[in-house]
Amino acid sequence: MKKGNKKLLVTSALAISLLITGCSSSTGGSGSSSDKSFNPDNADGKTYEEVRGSLGAVPMVSDEIKLGGVAKAFENEYWRTLKEGMETGAQKFSDQGYNLTVDMKSPQGESDEEGQLSIVKDMINKKYTALLLSPISDSNLVPGVESALEADIPVINVNDGIIKEAPNFVGPKADQNGELLAEWISEKIGGKGKVAIIVGMPKAFAARQRTLGFENWMKENAPDIKIAEKQNADWDRSKAKDIAATWIKKHSDLNAIFANNDTMALGAQEAVNESGRDILVVGVDGIGEAYDSIRKGEMDATIDSFPLYKGQIAVEMAIRQLGGQKLPRVIWTPQALIDSTNVETPAEEILKWTDPEISK
Amino acid sequence: MKLKSAGFNREFSLIAAIIIMVIVFSIIQPVYLSTGNLLDIMDQSVINGLLALGITYAIITGGIDLSVGSIFAIVIVVVGDLLVRGVDPVIAIVCGIGLGFLLGLFNGLLISKLKLQPFIATLGTMSAYRGVAYIITGGWPVLDIPANFRSIFNSKLFGSIPVSIFVLLAFAVVGHVILKYTKLGTYIYAIGGNEEATILSGVNVNRSKMLAYAISGTGAALAGMVLLARLGSGEPAAGQTYELNAIAAAAIGGASLAGGRGTMIGTLLGAILLSTLKVGLVVVGVDTFWQYIATGAIIVIAAYFEVIQDKVKKINFTKKKIA
Repeated sequence: MKKGNKKLLVTSALAISLLITGCSSSTGGSGSSSDKSFNPDNADGKTYEEVRGSLGAVPMVSDEIKLGGVAKAFENEYWRTLKEGMETGAQKFSDQGYNLTVDMKSPQGESDEEGQLSIVKDMINKKYTALLLSPISDSNLVPGVESALEADIPVINVNDGIIKEAPNFVGPKADQNGELLAEWISEKIGGKGKVAIIVGMPKAFAARQRTLGFENWMKENAPDIKIAEKQNADWDRSKAKDIAATWIKKHSDLNAIFANNDTMALGAQEAVNESGRDILVVGVDGIGEAYDSIRKGEMDATIDSFPLYKGQIAVEMAIRQLGGQKLPRVIWTPQALIDSTNVETPAEEILKWTDPEISK
Repeated sequence: MKLKSAGFNREFSLIAAIIIMVIVFSIIQPVYLSTGNLLDIMDQSVINGLLALGITYAIITGGIDLSVGSIFAIVIVVVGDLLVRGVDPVIAIVCGIGLGFLLGLFNGLLISKLKLQPFIATLGTMSAYRGVAYIITGGWPVLDIPANFRSIFNSKLFGSIPVSIFVLLAFAVVGHVILKYTKLGTYIYAIGGNEEATILSGVNVNRSKMLAYAISGTGAALAGMVLLARLGSGEPAAGQTYELNAIAAAAIGGASLAGGRGTMIGTLLGAILLSTLKVGLVVVGVDTFWQYIATGAIIVIAAYFEVIQDKVKKINFTKKKIA
């Protein structure tokens, strides 16, 4: 009896934790909080080029600038590249005579919400000049942002997640990449057919917005394309492969699979390869492995949001802010669809990138 | 005697549950019953099944092994790296198995020699091993796994059955033989049943425990290599939270977290049941959020069956006593 009880207790604790995960994700995913929280996708944003046009050259700042960047998780290639971007930006500005350094840190993985907050608090205590933050969730860095603003440290929210309390957001329009891919697929399959969506972690802003952008575009522009399936695979490659394998068997006429990121798209691509069928697979992020896969003729398209340049733009915007310029609430960073036609084109050319002008 | 009959009941009811599920899903969505899909169910239970079979050893001793997902990741990146450097696939596989065994053995060492609680010890190594996996590749994935390695696990036997399914079955058979027909197996059950008594009867408890955790690590290593072959690339972030699914499969299969109870066949069926459910929910198109609830419900129901079984046994026992 005693043993039975103990077992029941432990197993039901496990079950309850699964249930709670389910419930908490569902509140996040249903978009119920979207009316209360800030959604940059719906804001009247300006592209970084428009910002450069209206504000002019980057003002010279003679004081020492110590920028603090906080990423979600360096385990992910994306955040490591963003770090490289910020460091490249810092290097370019110091070459121009700025007294500028940037430190970018990350907590232990995307579940370490408290750890991320303590990094921010530490940066405030160490009196960093400005903070560039990419929070794990929409809420975990809020206390840090509040105390930074109290201490007159400017805060720029970079990429997703979203901090409503941060005065400025710099990042890509997340629903736009869903739209770009929907349009591309529709064109490839002639506006008619069956597609499926593999969703990332429901708590992630990017997962929700990418899916939403894709679905809305299809609804408005391609009424003959049916979104036959939609499941989430938690950004996990193996889970994505399993789900795709099941769908491929279920639908003999599936035309395309849209995964919320490249990792999952690569998993789905493995399932497509095994089936030997001709199904388009598209992802988002533009990681190196996706580029290679497109070169090999396997994956069909991805959206690159150019973290290497996004990092530089974030640093530029922080300097503009410190130099007394007034930034718009939302600044869009560039993104582009990459497929077999432009996979070899250098990013600088796709973006028509130029380094910002500096006023002496 | 008592254990055996309880085990049989449990396995019989699991098979019944799987059959009922297959029937229900097939009625809703006839595609479910196709050979390809049924093979998929088996195929998709391989990784979780290997992890779960291993973890069952730890659970039977009255412990737990939370580090399996991280051992899985280390093996993925190390074997992947060896293969990319051109090491012969067979040698790489042997290295992978050895590595899983040693990482598990280290867990066993912490638990037996340092007398740490298994939950805490493996919670620690779960994090530390994960860190090792990241350090090995600097966080980057290992790409372009050679085709000769991939085909070892992916090629089909008897027409259409992937080798990885046989890897799962072979591990289950070996695990079963060790548990039922060797001294080590007897000691592992005895430790879980009553550790004090086992020590007093002169059994080398430390050695048995260390081997149990080493077997757990070996299961994780095999699972990692199956994943590596399947995806053709490996990430150090792979396998996070997989330990929870493995524990769920073992619990559904009748392994008792209090120790002393659990079988390889039960755990294997538990893993198959979970993937029957998972594939079914995807085929039918159930919203993911509801899938969490379904999985949770299955675990609770399985646990409750155990309680009912215990009660029935108790009643029979008292009846006999009175008679």
